[in-house]
Amino acid sequence: MRALLLTLALLAAPARADIAEAVQDHILPGMAKLQASAETLRDAGNTCDTKALQDGFHATYDAWMAVQHLHLGPTEEEGRGLAVLYWPDPKGMGAKAQMALLKGDPAKLEPEAFAEQSVAARGLLALERLIYPEKPLPADPCPLIAATTADLARVTGEIAAGWQDYAQLLTTAGEPGNTAFLSRTEARQALFTQLAAGLETLNDGRIGRPLGSFEAPHPERAEARASGRSLRNITLALSALRDFTESLTPDAPQTLAAFDAAIAQAEAMDDPILAGITEPQGRLKLEILAQSVTRLRELALSEVAPEMDVGIGFNSADGD
Amino acid sequence: MRPNRRLFLGGLAALALPRPSWADAGSPAWLAAAKEGEDYCLHGLSESGESLFALPLPARGHAAAAHPEKPLAVAFARRPGTFALVIDCVTGAETHRFSPPPGRQFNGHGAFSADGRVLYTSEVVAEGSEGRVGIWETEGFTRMGEYASGGIGPHDLKLLADGRLIIANGGIQTDPTDRSKLNIETMRPNLTLISKGGTVLEQVTLPDLHQASIRHLVLTATGVAFAMQWEGDPAEVVPLLGHWVPGQAPEHYAAPEGEAERMKGYAGSIARASDGRLAISSPKGGVVQVFDAQGQFLATHARADVCGLAALGPGFVTSDGAGGICALDEGLRPLAKLDLAWDNHMVAL
Repeated sequence: MRALLLTLALLAAPARADIAEAVQDHILPGMAKLQASAETLRDAGNTCDTKALQDGFHATYDAWMAVQHLHLGPTEEEGRGLAVLYWPDPKGMGAKAQMALLKGDPAKLEPEAFAEQSVAARGLLALERLIYPEKPLPADPCPLIAATTADLARVTGEIAAGWQDYAQLLTTAGEPGNTAFLSRTEARQALFTQLAAGLETLNDGRIGRPLGSFEAPHPERAEARASGRSLRNITLALSALRDFTESLTPDAPQTLAAFDAAIAQAEAMDDPILAGITEPQGRLKLEILAQSVTRLRELALSEVAPEMDVGIGFNSADGD
Repeated sequence: MRPNRRLFLGGLAALALPRPSWADAGSPAWLAAAKEGEDYCLHGLSESGESLFALPLPARGHAAAAHPEKPLAVAFARRPGTFALVIDCVTGAETHRFSPPPGRQFNGHGAFSADGRVLYTSEVVAEGSEGRVGIWETEGFTRMGEYASGGIGPHDLKLLADGRLIIANGGIQTDPTDRSKLNIETMRPNLTLISKGGTVLEQVTLPDLHQASIRHLVLTATGVAFAMQWEGDPAEVVPLLGHWVPGQAPEHYAAPEGEAERMKGYAGSIARASDGRLAISSPKGGVVQVFDAQGQFLATHARADVCGLAALGPGFVTSDGAGGICALDEGLRPLAKLDLAWDNHMVAL
């Protein structure tokens, strides 16, 4: 009976489904998985077993890719998202700061002191430099690996815990006392903005930075090359945004089909660290993918946004 | 309610005083442009965020300038701007409308002289974006002349008490017909101090941050605070707030790592509280950041698509694209919400 009433209530108020479903089906499970995988990685960090570390690294990176488009609330506060993934880092600040930690005072590796270190020297790519070193490391990396994985577990734990509360703010949008979201439309707008911005940053960042220009491609700028994850992260970002879209509205067939097509394009590329983009054939494939993502954003705006009764932020859309 | 109130206030002012002053204007505290459905409009807002009057705009608005004594204000079109409206802030009626001369475009901001007899407007020569300061008398709003702003793409300008003017030359050359940026690699914004007569007295650039477009200004006790928009590599995180005391080098006020990134390289408005605290807004990051008067970072406050900023009570007030007006002191406190999208600025009257 209770289930029936709930079903009826959902039918009567379809607009409620988007926020609740995104929270229940997409956001909170993703955050829980991130936390759990980072805890497993922390355990591997304590043993410093290479195979376990690399497995845990990939599982945690995969879990991060499933939620990294959610630039809201606890992920944004206190630099937590940046402490999980600091990329891009064009000036190599992370590597410099990390080298100082590797050879420096071990007291800085204590949890509280380590939490105060630059976000560029922490997180997944900091760990990548230690477990997939490009050249031999000048000191035993195990203490720094343990500190880095412990910090990742702490930060992702804070993110997951924070999202429990933030999810409440989203689902109670417009109710008395909720000053974060003054209406349900505001909460839907906040979620839709993550979708539109996620597609934009995918194109500007993970795809656009290595793509560069025809005269000057920059495969060396691709994300997570040492661990061979550059293309995988692009594919995972698309899959995560597809999953997010599906949770936001059941009625976006064109957008979902375009996601499927883009994911298939990415999977067919067979160029894990985008090394092939210096050749015309390889470059063309990434350019086509970039166009697909541009088209996806247009579709999200024309199909998903009206379904959710939202648009693109008036002030954030262009500058002055 | 609204028409009655307007009628009442207008009638009262007409009866009591032949030349109304700000005290009679039913206390609109701010002017703010907005988009309402597909239409653009301008609202006069009370300190509680209530709309006291609204009038239609021919196109998207940007900022406004308030007359120092009379209850009138001039609202400017968004750049490349073709109109400015003079508004009677008692009745909310448009009393004049004027346009830049041929080949010039308004850039969204302006300021009155201390006695209210002259209006200065931020303008560009359409071809090439060379900056100009337009000079207008304020009885009939006819143009009296212009002088060079000292740079490319000027945006905000402020008048000092002694009549000298500080203008933010944003440095960006734009296409005369659309808003595409033409010189991002070579742009060189500056702050220029100009005498009453139009002579450049002093000019400072930001050598380390030549791609930080200086756009918005607020007067401080000793000079001017400025807000910037970063046009360089988005992966580089740079300060977006600074302070300039003429005669000295400009200073940058930076937010700490982890907070600075939240602005997404973009400050859309700036305001100064009565106690000297400074706030800058980022609609792109959906945050406002507050600094103390010495430039120490204090806090980040999240509100989606927030841009308009002004002083209110001991703190600030914000406006956003969801139609919200919020008081901001220790935290954000919603005051009012209308079914429209507030545009870039709230202008204190």
